[in-house]
Amino acid sequence: MKTKIKELRARYNLTQEDLAKKVGVRRETIVFLEKGKYNPSLQLAHNISKVLKVKIEEVFIFS
Amino acid sequence: MKKDKIRMISIIIVSWFVIVTGTLFSLESFMKGNFVGGFIGALIAVIILAFAIFVYKRGNKDLKEGYPLRDERSNKVMQKAMSMAFLVSIYVLLVIGWFSESLIKFRDVSQATGLAIGIMALLFFAFWVYYNKKGLK
Repeated sequence: MKTKIKELRARYNLTQEDLAKKVGVRRETIVFLEKGKYNPSLQLAHNISKVLKVKIEEVFIFS
Repeated sequence: MKKDKIRMISIIIVSWFVIVTGTLFSLESFMKGNFVGGFIGALIAVIILAFAIFVYKRGNKDLKEGYPLRDERSNKVMQKAMSMAFLVSIYVLLVIGWFSESLIKFRDVSQATGLAIGIMALLFFAFWVYYNKKGLK
C-alpha cells in the first residue's frame, strides 16, 4: 500500500506532529503510514482523509 | 487522557513490584550462597528499573505534548508481540522439557516456572522491538 500523506500534508503546511495530534495517534504511526509500513484501520484512514480534505482512495493507494 | 494517566500509574506499580521481587530474590539467593541466582535476580531488577524509568519519562513527555500513550498501531504491535512470544515460548519450553532430565537440572518447580516466565518476557520484549522497527501490515 502507498500513501500520499506526505504530499497532502505539504499542501496544508502540516507537520507529522500536527497531523498525529489532529487524528489522535502517536507521531511514529504517521511515520510508519508514510513509509507504507502500516495499514491503518478504516477509522484512522477516514480521520486522516477528513483532516487532509480528500477522499480515502486519494490518500491510500492499494496496488 | 485520564486513561493514560491510570496506565502510567499501573506501569509504575507493576514495575515497583517486579523490582522489589527481583531484589528480594537476589538478596535471598546471595545469602544462601547461590551467586548465579542472585546475579540473575539483580540483573532483572536493574533491567526493569531502567525500562520503567525510560517508559515513565517518555510517557510523561508525550502526555505533556498532547500525544496518546498508546494508539491503534502500538496496540497492534503489543498484541502481535504477545501472541508470538506465547507461541514461540511453547516450543522453547518443550525443548527445555526434553532436556530437563539430562542437561538442565532444576532445583524445584518454582525455578522451572521462573525460567519459563523469564523466557516469555524476553521473547515478548524481543518481538516488541522487532515489530516496532519492522512495522505491521
